[in-house]
Amino acid sequence: MAAEILYHGEPNGPSLSVLAALVESGLDIECRHIDFLRGERHRIEGAAQTLASDMAVEGEGPVLLKDGETMSEAVFLAQYFDDCAGGCGLQPSDAYAHWEMMMWCRQTTERLAPAVAYLGNMAYSQKVVTAMDEDSFSAIIDSIFSEDLRARWQDLRDDVVDAAKLEDSKAKVAQFVERVEDKLADGRDWLMGDFSIADLETYAWLRPMAELEASAFTGKTHCSAWMERLEARPSVQKALARATTDNPAHAFAPGPEINRWG
Amino acid sequence: MAEVTLYHWEPNANSGKPMLALMEKGVSFQSHYINMLEFDQHKPDYLAINPQGTIPAMTHGDRVLTESTAIMEYVNEEFAGPDLMPADPQDRWRIRWWMKFMDQWLGPSFSMIGWSVFVGPMVRKKPKEELEALIERIPLPERRRAWRKAMFGQFGEEELAESKRRVGFGIDRLEEELGRHEYVGSNFYSLADINIFNSTYSLPLSHPDVASKERTPNIMRWLKTVYLRPAVQETWKMGKTDLAHRYSLIMEDI
Repeated sequence: MAAEILYHGEPNGPSLSVLAALVESGLDIECRHIDFLRGERHRIEGAAQTLASDMAVEGEGPVLLKDGETMSEAVFLAQYFDDCAGGCGLQPSDAYAHWEMMMWCRQTTERLAPAVAYLGNMAYSQKVVTAMDEDSFSAIIDSIFSEDLRARWQDLRDDVVDAAKLEDSKAKVAQFVERVEDKLADGRDWLMGDFSIADLETYAWLRPMAELEASAFTGKTHCSAWMERLEARPSVQKALARATTDNPAHAFAPGPEINRWG
Repeated sequence: MAEVTLYHWEPNANSGKPMLALMEKGVSFQSHYINMLEFDQHKPDYLAINPQGTIPAMTHGDRVLTESTAIMEYVNEEFAGPDLMPADPQDRWRIRWWMKFMDQWLGPSFSMIGWSVFVGPMVRKKPKEELEALIERIPLPERRRAWRKAMFGQFGEEELAESKRRVGFGIDRLEEELGRHEYVGSNFYSLADINIFNSTYSLPLSHPDVASKERTPNIMRWLKTVYLRPAVQETWKMGKTDLAHRYSLIMEDI
């Protein structure tokens, strides 16, 4: 049995950022494609210690299985790859630059990711989950340990649409595009100056929004050019080449919850 | 070396994290006490340091740092002193995982309950007009909503019940983790312990139904071990309320 196996979904959102980070690191880790929307993430063979995937704040995201432990959260997996590789340029070595990157990533996972996941699930996954027969859906629900993640699956199944969350999510995507635009306004190529996890994580969540929330990108020339730079990056191309569907930007499964404090 | 100033409230929750991290590293710093219950954090003097009006914040020379967990990571990387992150990459990942689980999943539930039973009643004594004016001064819309709920006791039964469920559930997971490892996420004292200790040391008093010698022996063993660290003792002396004193008595009893 391989020492480490990366279980990932279609290259979109957290699966895209982790797959690209793995390529950047140069580590040789076996990658296995699974279908998040069929609940396959909750039935990983050989997983003994599953707290981190069961209770991932990220929701349905990639899982690295190592020594029976399921490791989760895209940003931390990218940091793990960087640590294992002895520093492959995914994280700044200067403490202050590192703090800035972690702050940026936290804003991305806390504000952008839940908004994108909400919009993506409503647009693409809701109809798939609704169309499942009762036995298939029950089998998925029964395999999910986290009560609140289970509730997000059930909401999708029941076609619960929260107009306020929808509007808030659209606003958050637009605000984040604006933020990226501002950050790049001084002519820098990458968000933190040097290329880092912040670029991969932000791009991976914004990429599916280019189609779904196209108006947010209108006139955002710095942001659009930065997205093209990322799209052209060999690590991103290799990650995208792992797609098994025509458009991986349409692949979503219940993600992080919207902040409970508003 | 550039001077370090920490703007903090009591040695508790988010404020307690960088206080204890600095103390563990042996970094001397200027302490600037922000009285949260008097809303010092939304006054112009402090907003000039951190326009978001959240505490804690730290300045190091002309650098301004916010967000307690990220400040701790900066403190650990920037200054000499004992390393508060282990060397093994999987341990480091696990420590980051636990800090996120605390900061973004379990912590908000702790604070919703804390604000509902402690912070809210403490500030509610002020006249309604004064409270409305205080809310107006808060820069972040989500913080305005949170403070409004706390000030006027507007937490819904359902959201409080969900927070209580999460606290009970999260504590059980922490108990299991401390059965697997000596400290949170690894067998080494780290930033995860500093983070989680600051939000859980009060549990035996505030939630005796979920955390006790009988129900969560691993958590109690760990709380006492961390409590006995000299840096914790020094940090707790910086409190201005009787909070630290009250909890010292609980710790001595474990």
